[in-house]
Parts: sequence; C-alpha cells; structure tokens
Amino acid sequence: MSQKSKIMNCNDYKEALTADPGFEDESGHVDNCASCQAFGAEMLALDEKIAAALAIRVPELTMPELPEIDTENVVPLVARRSISRPAWFALAATVLLAAFVGLRTPDMSLTGGTLEEQVLAHLDHEPQALRVTRTRVSDSRLAEVVPANIATMNDDVGLISYARTCVINGKKVPHLVIQGEHGPVTILLMPGEKITQAKTLDGVGIHGVILPVGDGSIAIVGDREEKLGQIEKNVLDSVTWDI
Amino acid sequence: MNNSDATHDRRQRFDRTVAVFYMDMYRYAAWLSRDKSIAEDVVQEALLRAWKSLDALRDDAAAKQWLLTIVRRENARYFERRRLETVDIDNLTASQAALLAEEPNEELSDLREAIYGLEDDYREPLVLQVLMGYSTNEIAELMGLKQGAVLTRLHRARLKLKDEVVNEAFS
Repeated sequence: MSQKSKIMNCNDYKEALTADPGFEDESGHVDNCASCQAFGAEMLALDEKIAAALAIRVPELTMPELPEIDTENVVPLVARRSISRPAWFALAATVLLAAFVGLRTPDMSLTGGTLEEQVLAHLDHEPQALRVTRTRVSDSRLAEVVPANIATMNDDVGLISYARTCVINGKKVPHLVIQGEHGPVTILLMPGEKITQAKTLDGVGIHGVILPVGDGSIAIVGDREEKLGQIEKNVLDSVTWDI
Repeated sequence: MNNSDATHDRRQRFDRTVAVFYMDMYRYAAWLSRDKSIAEDVVQEALLRAWKSLDALRDDAAAKQWLLTIVRRENARYFERRRLETVDIDNLTASQAALLAEEPNEELSDLREAIYGLEDDYREPLVLQVLMGYSTNEIAELMGLKQGAVLTRLHRARLKLKDEVVNEAFS
C-alpha cells in the first residue's frame, strides 16, 4: 500500500484514505472523481464517530506515592546547540502549558486538561505543520477538512499551507496553518467548544487567543512577534460559521 | 542549585508533564487493556516508572511519546504477570463493561462495542491515530512496526468498523 503513487485510481485513493483520513491526494484524482469525494466524506464522518466513541470519560488523577529521588547524583542535561523551529514551537507550547497547569494545580488533584491546555498540547502533535512555505493546500483538501456544514472560508484568511482534521477534547476539528509575517500561524476551528469570553494564550516564544464564535470557538496561535490582531480579523471576516 | 531546589524543580516538572498528558495516558491504557480498573492500575505503575526515570526525558517536546511508551510497556507487564484470558465480549466483568456502558448515544455505543471487539493489533494503531493524533510514521515507531504494516492494520480496522456501522444501520 503506497501513499506516494503519482498516478492514482479509485482503489488506490480509497485504500490510502481508509488507512489515513489525512492522506493528501497529490495526483489530483479526487478533484475529478465524485465517487472518491463521496467516499472521502463518508470516511471523515466515520472517523468523527470513531473519535467520539474512543473519547471515554477519564477519572480524576490520583497521584501515586512517589519515592524520594537522589537529585544530587542526577547528571545535568547538556544544553542543545540548536532547536529546529517546529521543535521550538512544541517546546514553547509545553512550557507555556506547564506554566498554566502549575499555577492552577497546587493540590496535585489534576484533571485531564482545559481547552487552552489541549489546544497548546496539540501543537506538539504535528510539528510538520509548522513549516515556512509558499505552497497552498488544494481546494479539494480544504473542502474535505472544512466541510460546508461546519464553515465556509474565503481567500482573505491568507495562504493556507496545511489542513488536517484533528482531535481536540475528543472531537474532530479542522486544523489549519496559514503563513504569517513571522512564520506559520495555527488556526483551530472548534465548532463544538463554546466559550463565553476570549482566552489569551501567552508564553515564551508564542502567543495566541481562543475566540468565542457562536456556539463554538476558534484558536489562533503564532510566533510572539506575529501581529495576531489583523489575522484574527481576517479569520473572523472570512469564516462563516455554519453550525 | 541546592538539593532541595533540585528536588522541588524535578517534582514541578513531573506534575506539569503528567497534568498535560494524563488524559491521553488513561485513554490509551483503557483501550489497550479494555478494562477501566486495569487502566487505572497501569497508569499508576506508569506514573511511578516515569517519576523514577524522569531524568532520562531530555526533551520535554517528546514527553507524550515517552509517557505513552511507558504506558504501553506497563500494560504488557500487567498482562504478562497475570496471564489473563482473552476477553469474551459476551461475558464481561463489571470493570470491562464499564468501558462500554457510559455512552448514552446508541449509535456511538454500538461503534464503541465494535472498537472494543477489534483485535489488539487493529485497535491500538487506530487509537493512536484517531485519538492521539499520531502520524503513521509515529505509530510505526511506537509499535515497532514498518509503516506499511501500520497502514494495512488501519485500513482493515476502518473497513471492519465501517461494516459494523452499515450492519447496525440495516439491522
């Protein structure tokens, strides 16, 4: 089963998509095949149900009794000489998340994580999404990830370089990346995550916001140098929420 | 830095890391073991092991993969120690049934039962891909498989679930 075939037929496409719903058809076959488009929509719907079925309730964490560790004999870690941009983003997200959690959980009675925590932790999932590029995703790919029953987007949002359906809080959400002035900017469209007011995400190296939009919310996270105000406006202006 | 500061920093680092990934650890353990009580035991053991070997985690960006690998090993150890019988879906214990019982939506409940009934080899990569957001490369690395094998298993898992959904719709 190869996902890199240049020439693709219906069987190849359906087989690849069944193994990985995030599969991107670079051959252009699906753009002109109604059967494969329908199959893609069917698989996406199935995966949404699978994600919901897998998201079982998680009991509150009870920390076990931890033995004392002799930290005097721990060898200090050697500083890394350089960190790639994706890894740096992921590390920054983890540090930021840790700061949030550390402030809120002094009694060690920890739960599974707030929406902010899950959004930031998600940056760690797909570092390959955070690359600087001028290549935009295909319209068919975008339509597959952002179906019309969730939202419609116009071109004002910017150059979308990455689109994939991901899981946040046990729900499938469109994960997009646009190219900002200071690098990639992550956008998560979360139609099922209603919040009452905007939440600011602020940490070393990255910053962002989760905006309430109707019965859902949209997360926007970028480089600390990135001016998110204009991007937020572009996103809100170009996304029509259809839920 | 004195010993007290180092101990405090270490504990803080551990608590923060666990807080971020506890939900993933538990769900992964639950779907590996197909039993909520066992999942809780496995996670407890995994937390202890993670605490003892925290200094081996050199890059916090790799914490999730590191913790899930520990959960995977602890789950294997648990079943090795107890030599449990294969689960018969028609004769579940209360703790096994609890994993299926909480879903009020009938369609999702049927699907959860179908996932529960998948072979371990199919269920695990599906959980890693759909719930954890792992790429097929990452799944292959975690499970010690070639990417082609992972793709085949995911393909078959989805076909089985698709058949189940269609069958339920017609029955």
